[in-house]
Amino acid sequence: MATLLRGVLRPLCAFRGGPGPPAGVPFRAVSHGTGLLYPEHIPTSVLQKVLLAAGSAGMALYDPYRHDMVAVLGETTGRRTLKVLRDQMKRDPEGAQILQERPRISLSTLDMGKLRSLPEGSFGCAYLHFLDVNRVSPDTRAPTRFVDDEELAYVIQRYREIHDMLHTLLGMPTNILGEIVVKWFEAVQTGLPMCVLSALFGPIRLSAQSLQLLISELIPWAVENGRRAPCVLNVYYERRWEQPLQALRQELGITEPPLCVEGLA
Amino acid sequence: MLRYVLSDSGHPTVKMAAPRSWALWSFCGCGWSRAVSGCRLPGLRSSSPRGPLGARLLSQEKEATETHFGFETVSEEEKGGKVYQVFESVAKKYDVMNDMMSLGIHRVWKDLLLWKMRPFPGTQLLDVAGGTGDIAFRFLNYVQAQHQRKQKRQLRAQQNLSWEEIARKYQNEEDSLGGSHVMVCDINKEMLKIGKQKARAQGYKAGLAWILGDAEELPFDDNKFDVYTIAFGIRNVTHIDQALQEAHRVLKPGGRFLCLEFSQVNNPLLSRLYDVYSFQVIPVLGEVIAGDWKSYQYLVESIRQFPSVVSQF
Repeated sequence: MATLLRGVLRPLCAFRGGPGPPAGVPFRAVSHGTGLLYPEHIPTSVLQKVLLAAGSAGMALYDPYRHDMVAVLGETTGRRTLKVLRDQMKRDPEGAQILQERPRISLSTLDMGKLRSLPEGSFGCAYLHFLDVNRVSPDTRAPTRFVDDEELAYVIQRYREIHDMLHTLLGMPTNILGEIVVKWFEAVQTGLPMCVLSALFGPIRLSAQSLQLLISELIPWAVENGRRAPCVLNVYYERRWEQPLQALRQELGITEPPLCVEGLA
Repeated sequence: MLRYVLSDSGHPTVKMAAPRSWALWSFCGCGWSRAVSGCRLPGLRSSSPRGPLGARLLSQEKEATETHFGFETVSEEEKGGKVYQVFESVAKKYDVMNDMMSLGIHRVWKDLLLWKMRPFPGTQLLDVAGGTGDIAFRFLNYVQAQHQRKQKRQLRAQQNLSWEEIARKYQNEEDSLGGSHVMVCDINKEMLKIGKQKARAQGYKAGLAWILGDAEELPFDDNKFDVYTIAFGIRNVTHIDQALQEAHRVLKPGGRFLCLEFSQVNNPLLSRLYDVYSFQVIPVLGEVIAGDWKSYQYLVESIRQFPSVVSQF
């Protein structure tokens, strides 16, 4: 009986994650300072990632206001997809530049004064307008913690930070319906499991009328645009503030939304 | 997994083994051995079984200014602040997380502590690091139940009451706790806040006081309390020896010191399972339920850092 249990427990030790600490030393002893790949990094074993993914998925469904849980779900399930996205970025000249320069979008890095002075109809102006109307700020994105590769951690951070840009480009507000539409677009664009899950399970909490609108008009539009547009992670948004919004939309092949989602859901 | 350390305040017999380093454990084993001079005992002193407090052997280095914070090494000044931050952030979800992490078993442990304590009406209890009040509320329930039982016994024995006694009962002037009192002392304001909210919600008013204080420097006079408890708190104290000295000071002669704390698992199989549960599952629970991985990582590490109580000495 004891040998049987030991046989079960030995693979459990493998869950302590990769090479590194000897069997006796608990996992975190390695990760203080020296083992961290980036400042907010928390190294996790396979078992921990599985538990986190399951727990965060459940908690996100239970309490939709736990945005941090959606973020954790993305980090723990996206490894393969992030690699594909990173390779896509490397192949594109603008994407490669982004990977090189690692721009970050936050209130401290954005020049708000300059953005406010931009002409009406420009992308920067529209973005500011979006932030004001929906009362959101680019600083609410939690930093990446559970991705065990420093470059991929940046890729997912970049994906999170351009989320608001996508709202602007698609003309979607931050109510539940708008978020689901953007998630469908992102799911088609990136293929991240978290986007796919949110897109599929997000509508659970919608009213029948909104659901009908979603299925008949908004989802087909979002999917079509997602397929047509090139990888949105390859756009260096910080260099395109002056570009007119319509021109940027045309470049990415994004059409006008089929109906106004403001005030719905 | 748990050990209750009881000692009369007259004989300081609290023994601590060397801090658990993985290589040394198999050699130091269960025996109390002063030969572990190679081990630094930050903040701990060994005490001789019969000597007065003044004749303690100081086996620590005077200049030791570093200590552990979980598995990290920090300076002693830093540790207090870091522990404060941990409990500040976990305070709101402290009770929920206790239930989740221990599957509700922590309630049994705390009940057992009370049964071990067996307070009687009139006991003066000091509950240090008592934050959210679990021990204090149990204490109040216990003495109240005792007092009620005593009153019922009295009534049965004495069928005829005098007019004064009847009048007193109608006026409810009697103290339902029989003079018992508990002071909940904690260094963390947030934990005390949660404790006070709980007391209000559950209707505990009499016999209860909430004091903000440091276990290493208690704001109480000497020889004041009958019982001193510290449940799952002592491992977070930077200088455990000072906390013990303070406990000795504020307890009356013949008073009792009760410490409820996590200990080591001796069974190797259970120990492996326990490690997996502690390090793999608990921080995940902390992240999912409370949105705080690091605090719960610290808590499980601090359990491992706490020296085990040796059974034979």
